[in-house]
Amino acid sequence: MTVIFALWKRNIRAFWRNKPALIFNLVFPFFFIFVFAEIFRNDYIENAISFMLAGIIIAVVFDSAIRISSNTIDDMTSGFMREVLVSPVSRLTIAIGQFASSATVATLQGIIIFVVGFAIGLRISSPITILYALLAMLFVGLVFAGFGLFLATRAKNIQTFQAVSMAITMPMTFLSGAYIPLSMLNDFLTTVAYFNPMTYAVILFRSIVLERTGDPTEQLIMQELAFKVGDFTIEPVHAALILAAFGVLFLLLSTISFIRLDFSRMNRNKNDSLEIE
Amino acid sequence: MMTENAAKRPIIEVKNFTKRYGNFTAVRDISFDVAEGSIFAFLGPNGAGKSTTINTLCTIYDGYDGELYIGGNDVATQKSAVRSNIGIVFQECTLDLKMTIEENLRMHCVFYGVPRAEIEERIEFVLTLVDLLDWRKRSVSALSGGMKRRVEIARGLIHYPRVLFLDEPTAGLDPQTRAHVWEYILQLQKEKNITMFLTTHYMDEAEICDSVAIMDHGEIIAHDTPFGLKKQYTKDRAYVTTSNPAFLEKLLTQHEMTFAVKEKFHRIDVDDNASLLHVLAECRKDITDIEIRKGTLNDVFLEITGREIREGGDA
Repeated sequence: MTVIFALWKRNIRAFWRNKPALIFNLVFPFFFIFVFAEIFRNDYIENAISFMLAGIIIAVVFDSAIRISSNTIDDMTSGFMREVLVSPVSRLTIAIGQFASSATVATLQGIIIFVVGFAIGLRISSPITILYALLAMLFVGLVFAGFGLFLATRAKNIQTFQAVSMAITMPMTFLSGAYIPLSMLNDFLTTVAYFNPMTYAVILFRSIVLERTGDPTEQLIMQELAFKVGDFTIEPVHAALILAAFGVLFLLLSTISFIRLDFSRMNRNKNDSLEIE
Repeated sequence: MMTENAAKRPIIEVKNFTKRYGNFTAVRDISFDVAEGSIFAFLGPNGAGKSTTINTLCTIYDGYDGELYIGGNDVATQKSAVRSNIGIVFQECTLDLKMTIEENLRMHCVFYGVPRAEIEERIEFVLTLVDLLDWRKRSVSALSGGMKRRVEIARGLIHYPRVLFLDEPTAGLDPQTRAHVWEYILQLQKEKNITMFLTTHYMDEAEICDSVAIMDHGEIIAHDTPFGLKKQYTKDRAYVTTSNPAFLEKLLTQHEMTFAVKEKFHRIDVDDNASLLHVLAECRKDITDIEIRKGTLNDVFLEITGREIREGGDA
């Protein structure tokens, strides 16, 4: 436990000290707020600003949780991960430390936009909603921290990781309903969206922020907070369960991949690339 | 005490160790022991299998044939116990560049379960040892190469390991810093009775060690004290320049001495000094220059493999 906390603290510290990345991470989401909030000032969905902001916040949490894993690759290539891996600490503990810190950083970024959101029109009636929203952000952050670490252990270098994570996060964000409502997509893209874990993260988080988790099904569908797959309607509760299933899968895959990471091979790759230079 | 020491199990035991990468055999069936409190060196050219062996002993590489024990613990099955007993200074920097020296050391203490109450005291102790106490709050990324290496040595020691592995501890350092790093290593071995296991391709460094194993192409081709190796494999050589080569050669042949004729001098193998003195006395007036060279570990390597160890190359 001490070790997990120490790793967590170290990763948060590393994030905090990397000022250019920190500023970029904090400023970037506002770009989306200004672009999309204008587009969605319409009568099509009631409370458009809250609707939009909820999407942006969770998209930022998602993006941040994945992108923060590039730090893990940094640690591998800089050599620090070797020091960690030859210590008596188990790799599982190290992986948990990574998940915890990634989820924390992602949530922190979500919180910042959340706070700014209040200034530009986000409205919440019950204080408990804030707690639920926080938990949901941590949950989504954790799910995609697993996804991020999995990509990191596969990519093994920053360039590959950045290219691959970009190629994956972009479509996942745009085919999730976070920015563009699913009802505006064509049939094919809607089908793709069903397999996208982010779709469920958006539904869950948005229904919490809009305080509509208890609405009747018809109402939820109208508000884009539920959708029909065949005869079955996926409501926020189901979305949470599906997302949890994805989360378990991602955390398992990434932990296994991390534990099995063959550092003898990695070292050789590094030598090869040095020779090319 | 004497009998107890004599009966003591070696701190490191390697029995028939073989390591393969696919079809490539990096290390082939090597066996050796290292006595507790001694300095042991692997000497050999790049790619000889030194780092592979050290990395496997440090539990980094999985999957090998043979038996490896450190402090009586099996490297393959008792990783955690082995890891607690060893400190490692890698060939490349493995410090956390985003953190300060102190944060690096604290993190290491947490990893190795150093009691919280002792951490502060130990940080001061190891930093004093490597002369970096005043730098503790500085970010590691701001340090020079030699300072980073010293931080790594300090970090490798802070959990009081029984064995300190040093993979090319002075590679890429300037001669002055190299000398300093060696001062620390020798001081530690003397004061703390820590076993030092190191790899190097610097001859002068290997000379300092208690025991040297020479590796080439994944095999140990010789293993002894530096003195023993030189005695067994090298000869002193005399390099003589003379104005009358024919006469010198005649005398050498008479005394049954082996020699080689080079462009400007004769290289004579010296088996016993008496014969050499005889020869030199007889042709004294012809000799314009003379130099006698003692055998080095490089000669040992040359003698066994027919090649030289490339000195001062990149690590």
